Amino acid sequence: MTSDDKRCVVTGLGVICAVGNNVEEAWKSALESVSGIHKTTSVDTVNCYADLAAEVKCDSLDEIDAPEEKDRVSKLCIKAANEALADAGLKNFNDDQRVSVVIGSCVGGVLSIEQYHQHGRDASEIAKMPIASIASQVAETCGAGGIVTNVANACAAGTISIAVACDLIRAGKADVVIAGGADSFASVPYSGFLSLHALDENGCSPFNRCNGITLGEGAGIVIVESYEHAQKRAAKQYCEVLGSGVTSDANHITAPREDGLCLKEAINRSVKNSGIAKTDIGYINAHGTGTGKNDNAEMTAFKAYFGEENPTVSVSSTKVLTGHCLGAAGAIEAVFSIKALTTDTVLPTFPYSEEQSAALKEKVGDMDFVQNKARHKELKSVLSNNVAFGGTNAAIVFSKESGNVSAQSAKDCKIAVTGVGIVSPLGNSKAAYLEAVNADKKPESASVHSTIALDDYKELGIKMAFYRKLDNLGLLQTVSGMRALQDANFKVSDENAMDIGIIVGTSEGGLGATYDFEELIAELGNAGGSAFKFPHTVYNAAGGYLSICSGIKGYGVTITTGPLSGLDSIGYSMNVIHDGQEKAMMATGTDENLPIITEFAQKLGVAANDVVAPYSDSEGFVVGDGSVSIMLEDESYAKSRDAKVYCYALGFGHGRKNVKFGKLVGSDEALDKAIADALADAGITAADVDAVCGFANGCKKIDDIEKGALKRVFGEKLATMPLFEVKERTGEGRAGSAALAAAEAALLLSGELANDNAYFVAADGSVSAKNVESANLKKILVISFAAGGSYSAVVFGK
Amino acid sequence: MNEMKEKLKAFFMSDLGVDGDVLQFDTPLFGEEIGLDSVDSLEIISFVDSNFGVSMTGVAKENFQSIDTIAAYIESHKA
Repeated sequence: MTSDDKRCVVTGLGVICAVGNNVEEAWKSALESVSGIHKTTSVDTVNCYADLAAEVKCDSLDEIDAPEEKDRVSKLCIKAANEALADAGLKNFNDDQRVSVVIGSCVGGVLSIEQYHQHGRDASEIAKMPIASIASQVAETCGAGGIVTNVANACAAGTISIAVACDLIRAGKADVVIAGGADSFASVPYSGFLSLHALDENGCSPFNRCNGITLGEGAGIVIVESYEHAQKRAAKQYCEVLGSGVTSDANHITAPREDGLCLKEAINRSVKNSGIAKTDIGYINAHGTGTGKNDNAEMTAFKAYFGEENPTVSVSSTKVLTGHCLGAAGAIEAVFSIKALTTDTVLPTFPYSEEQSAALKEKVGDMDFVQNKARHKELKSVLSNNVAFGGTNAAIVFSKESGNVSAQSAKDCKIAVTGVGIVSPLGNSKAAYLEAVNADKKPESASVHSTIALDDYKELGIKMAFYRKLDNLGLLQTVSGMRALQDANFKVSDENAMDIGIIVGTSEGGLGATYDFEELIAELGNAGGSAFKFPHTVYNAAGGYLSICSGIKGYGVTITTGPLSGLDSIGYSMNVIHDGQEKAMMATGTDENLPIITEFAQKLGVAANDVVAPYSDSEGFVVGDGSVSIMLEDESYAKSRDAKVYCYALGFGHGRKNVKFGKLVGSDEALDKAIADALADAGITAADVDAVCGFANGCKKIDDIEKGALKRVFGEKLATMPLFEVKERTGEGRAGSAALAAAEAALLLSGELANDNAYFVAADGSVSAKNVESANLKKILVISFAAGGSYSAVVFGK
Repeated sequence: MNEMKEKLKAFFMSDLGVDGDVLQFDTPLFGEEIGLDSVDSLEIISFVDSNFGVSMTGVAKENFQSIDTIAAYIESHKA
């Protein structure tokens, strides 16, 4: 039996999609086999071979606070979240730190990118573009003050969000999580899938004609709550959320593995982590997109996994109803799966003619592939799975019973930092970084960027056949990740490929690539999209490329919250290891500085005109970038392979006070909370901290928040405590800089960095700087921030 | 014909990230060194269609083997 403190229950549901603007409408459509696929009315279809989509028709999306500040994707998400919260009997949380928001998305605010590009480059569009705005705006709407993040694993993002929600609750980091996914239909994904010839001109027909997908849009929200919290407030409980499994194909950036091997492993993990038998699964809501590659791989995985033990399991895809809603798909399908479970109903894929049914029978054998009409079936547990670009596979189990969930099984293990890979404007290796610090290098201009060179590929053995496919972000991530593996002397093999995972943290992810794609189709029309470029628009492509290059097949998630994503990747990786899901994790922070990114910073008035230093009371900062990858391992695993240990990751904390997305001022006290949380998690006090690796970048508004919080937390001690500020050398590289600050801490604690320039804040607030030796530093606090009012902190120790 | 091949080569370099130093007209495109795949074929088809007015949709794989074979196909199918 799952212990009560590890039980996660669903207490509220919300949905908006082409077949309904709420759960009741969508469920009615599902029972009546109504498809939401029609001729599109919102994108240009000139010269395009397919013109169908499953669009949301809803007049009330703007009935929210400040609709002009939100992209359609946030509006869809807020609508579903409001329904789910009302269903759960919950409302404004007043910045309650125990309430989190985790939202999956694939294309985020892509309509705002289109708007910016085609209608006057208006600065007010910029904050609506990144995926990170979605969860932040949901949190702002309902006052959620806990961890607020977005999962950016393309078409598997919705499922992974619910899995992450449960992980947070089981780790004791949250009581309530608003989890789900959202995406809107737009020209970029439409043109992209057209260019891949992946759209079915007659509408998707999963496991049947298999000629391609039809895009949809919408949002799905599941309120996941700790069982104890739900019991205490006597909440209605739909079902339990049991185990989940996330794996990476390490194969191809868009196509799934034909053998379904890693999808099978994701399903295996979800059932195993649930502590139930294969035979307990009565219904599978398949990804079932309608492409031959997906549907065949999925069927292969189902047969291989369920085989003779559960040969008659019921299976269907609900994408004929909703279209493929990308990052919302897993969340909307979770709502359908939960409704199916709780009403003992299996949903159909339709339409199938008699001949098509006979052909299907040949393919699926004894499997109960549900066709044409929903029907009654007693269900104990259901499984929902999704796969995505980047090679991501995700599966999750919903159940009427509490199962025997395995969680936090390695809670007591120490987590060692065993490798560091650094790509920055200073160079593309740890050695280049150390050399730059020793030479006290500073940015050469107010906008600097990393440049990958042929020598990097040569040194890492990366072949042209591979690197030619990558965009800039993918190159930065692949090189830093391969450097970290090399530094850790970790050889990925068939034996250990599933023991190691990757969490990529990014602030803007594929935003630059999405902008490039928008530029292309604005010129050539939607029929002129590029199949080569389209995969780069998904934020998890960079992590996917690293997985392909390295062969890492375990956990693979991309999170995007803002700069702090580069620290959260470490915090969440610690949780994955403590959960016993992996033995080793690569935690990264990666962001790029393309010309359009500097343009955005300039338009927002945060880009400095000249090189500025941290604490220089400037109006802006140097725009930079970078990718830093850090290897974390269960200490015993690291020792078993004689790994060098830099230091240990001792604790992770977060804090949030809601301000508008794009803003930070007014949220200062949440940084205090993040630091206190991390110290408590590490089992130490402020008195034990010897130094801080901070986030100051020269912009007074940001630096004052750091200064103020450190003053409140450390008091008089602050005057003599060194603050190391990596952005003085690389500029503001968002998630890249947050992870670099963590790498700096590891290098200082290990002694590889014998000394560095440090800042000291005097009692009167004045700041001085001097070079400090690292020999006496035993514990270092690393902090970061995100627009919207989120902060994270990680403690490292010798 | 040579002009066509140069144009194709420039496309492989600029749009598909291929290093020009290793790309000869007879270099196998789908071999280990260049490593083109199905996504790249879509780009080739699209490029050939819009620049030479020749449709290569559904054309047998051997026609995509090298710049030489693509150019030969275009030459023999030009309107």
